[in-house]
Amino acid sequence: MTETTLIARAQAGDFDAFLELVREHQQSIYALAKRLTGSAEDAEDVLQETLLKAIDKIDTFRAESTFGTWLHAIALNEARRIYSSQQRTDPKPIEEYLPPRLSSGAPPNSGVALFDWGDPAAYVERVELADIIDAALIELAPPYREAFVLRYLEELPVKEVAALIGESEAATKSRILRARLAMRDHIATKLEVSYGKRQVS
Amino acid sequence: MANDKCPEYLEQLNEYLDGELDTGLCAEIDAFVGECTNCRVMVDSLRQTVRLCRDGTEISLPASVTNRLTELLRRRWEAKFGSPPQ
Repeated sequence: MTETTLIARAQAGDFDAFLELVREHQQSIYALAKRLTGSAEDAEDVLQETLLKAIDKIDTFRAESTFGTWLHAIALNEARRIYSSQQRTDPKPIEEYLPPRLSSGAPPNSGVALFDWGDPAAYVERVELADIIDAALIELAPPYREAFVLRYLEELPVKEVAALIGESEAATKSRILRARLAMRDHIATKLEVSYGKRQVS
Repeated sequence: MANDKCPEYLEQLNEYLDGELDTGLCAEIDAFVGECTNCRVMVDSLRQTVRLCRDGTEISLPASVTNRLTELLRRRWEAKFGSPPQ
């Protein structure tokens, strides 16, 4: 059955059609919420409220977007309710994450952890790596976390990310890059410590 | 990242890292990055940042949550549309 048919049936009151529609998306909404909030409990709450709101608003859905995008937009608003009070510092300007300018002879940018990562999985336990990534994500200021997660973990095109976060494509691209540089910086700093420990032991 | 072309390339950095640039510009940046050890290390670690995030944070929705939610949704649905005919 096509999405259009399922939506029509759901809007006419067919619960099974609604369940089939949401079944396809609930895993990805839960994952999105878990990454954005950093908490399984909050992710469950976001998923629940998203689906309840979808029931309340099902008759207003007009197929201007796909059903999945519509659900994700509701989920993003629900997740924001949870982290709206989080205080985080925005990532630094892009230039401050860049490596030393070798050819100009200028001094290295201070604080840029720059070393060959090799294969991190060979040096760091999988669980530790997952913890490093979770911590890096939750350290990002929410607007940057949203941009990074939607683009790289939900794997949405930039245009769709821009629509979801309500920014221009140019501003979204810049936000995604700053988020990626900040994530790299955070992970590099943690790996440096882990690699150092491994060398000592 | 190490000479005057840096700001120009910087605008395209994400597209370059994600393999979304046209081949001409991509080859130009490849050559540029190839001449700079720090740039190479930076490019590799930026690519690994996304790869590690994708590989390291697999999240599964527990079946118990799905079951509980289905019942909750059914109640909300019936409150809105009424119970289905028996």
